[in-house]
Amino acid sequence: MRHNYGKIRVVLYGAGTFLVLLSLWQIAAMTSNSEIGFPTPVAVIGRFFHMLSNKVGSYTIWGHTLWSLSRVVIGYLLACVLGVVLGLTMGWFPYVKALFKPVFDLLRPIAPLAWIPLAILWFGIGEKYKYFLIFIAAFVPFTLNSYAGAVRVDRQLIGAARMLGASHSQVFFRIVVPSAVPSIFSGAQVALSNAWMTMLAAEMVRSSEGIGWLIIAGQGINDMTQMIAGMLAIGIVGFLLANGMRLLERRCLVWNNQGK
Amino acid sequence: MEQSGKIGKEKLSCRGITKSFSSSSGNFEVLHDLTFDVYENEFLVLFGPGQCGKTTLLYMLAGLEECTEGEVFHNGEPVTGPAPSRAVVYQTMALFPWMTVWDNVSFSQKVRKAEKKVIAERTQYFIDLVGLTGFEKSYPVQLSGGMKQRVGIARAYCSDPDVLLMDEPFGHLDAQTRYMMQESLGKIWENEKRTIVFVTNNIEEALYLADRIILLSDCPSQIKKEYRITLPRPRSLVSPEFLKLRKEITEQMNMSD
Ligand SMILES: Nc1ncnc2c1ncn2[C@@H]1O[C@H](COP(=O)(O)OP(=O)(O)OP(=O)(O)O)[C@@H](O)[C@H]1O
Ligand SMILES: [Mg+2]
Repeated sequence: MRHNYGKIRVVLYGAGTFLVLLSLWQIAAMTSNSEIGFPTPVAVIGRFFHMLSNKVGSYTIWGHTLWSLSRVVIGYLLACVLGVVLGLTMGWFPYVKALFKPVFDLLRPIAPLAWIPLAILWFGIGEKYKYFLIFIAAFVPFTLNSYAGAVRVDRQLIGAARMLGASHSQVFFRIVVPSAVPSIFSGAQVALSNAWMTMLAAEMVRSSEGIGWLIIAGQGINDMTQMIAGMLAIGIVGFLLANGMRLLERRCLVWNNQGK
Repeated sequence: MEQSGKIGKEKLSCRGITKSFSSSSGNFEVLHDLTFDVYENEFLVLFGPGQCGKTTLLYMLAGLEECTEGEVFHNGEPVTGPAPSRAVVYQTMALFPWMTVWDNVSFSQKVRKAEKKVIAERTQYFIDLVGLTGFEKSYPVQLSGGMKQRVGIARAYCSDPDVLLMDEPFGHLDAQTRYMMQESLGKIWENEKRTIVFVTNNIEEALYLADRIILLSDCPSQIKKEYRITLPRPRSLVSPEFLKLRKEITEQMNMSD
């Protein structure tokens, strides 16, 4: 009972802050006499709902969101597969580490955005260059965290598995890989927010659809309402993605969560 | 009560094994020149004070640690690494946390690619034997300390080892659970006779379970004395013979060499 009551209170406090900020924004926008008309929150939310069923450019806001999501998903999944494989093998097999770790460490600090000009030269301005950038953004945290997970595997569990008769490959697949999963999941969270941000940058530089385009297009026609409505979409989808990932993690890691 | 004559053939033989760890401040000798045998189906207890090198010794028997000097033989063959024929029950349990009780216990059979039906029967048999029926689908985090240790014992038994090596398996348990576990381990061993080497620093536990006790000295550990325990099983912790032995061994342990 007490617990439930506390939870409700937390939600109410959060909602309260929201309402206060929105009210301040509303009052400020209505009383402002600046030359560029600043949209009220009511106008932004109204426009957002309007865009749900009316096209801006070639798509409704649903369509733009799906375009953005498809880019993120493709780049992200590619990064997940390659990053996890590279990270885990680098963490467990010394010769894989010797081969790839120096190159990886050198390329790792280069921000995804620094790749934009090169990526456009290599892949053109179509979809491929966006996949590539999102891939880079997500690949680094996936690799790093898989690597850390494999390096930190409990040596006693390795001994126990060997003592029970596991071969070298069984030790890798049955002990090293599963014990790295919690670490991979925390990498997956970082990778997701990196991918989401990089997608926006990629779309703002060159595209004709997507949420990034929506915002840039709003700037082009001095439509601040459209820009802020686009930002609202970014916030909502980003929030849903992060929470979906957390839910997935909780379901996959039952064995790790009980104690917390 | 001194050791006299053996009960079966030798399973494990330690010949002059010595272990030192090298550190920045020089060599640190933990075990000094130990020679003893473990016989078939014997319950041997290695009894010694804390930090005297019991775990190290057990790991050397298992092949998880190398000997600095001397050699360990298992059925006459030198021990060079860990093998399923010598299963360890760890002081820290070392269960695989992402596996259910069932998967932990059946691990050794699965990696050996045993037949599905054999795996299922064997696993269920040992889960039932240690009294974990109904907890097959639980993860280690969901179990109490005593139950985890039962999983460790079932996992070791299920790999069908020739020798079971147990490192203070009940060390972290409260007195009540500890006593229950000693009782059920005694029963399990009577049902499924194996050669067991059991490490402890608890004299009651040693006397309750052992056929033979090897008393180890402080670091660097040497064999101080051996006792053959012939009290009838199941043993009473308060019988005069039990108390007399307990006093004798405790005094011997506290005597400086
Ligand atoms: N890998 C290692 N490197 C260096 N020193 C070690 C190593 N393993 C053990 N030691 C040292 O050897 C000594 C004996 O350790 P060990 O764990 O074998 O004792 P123990 O009798 O099992 O102790 P406990 O009663 O706490 O279980 C300790 O002083 C320990 O610090
Ligand atoms: Mg120990």
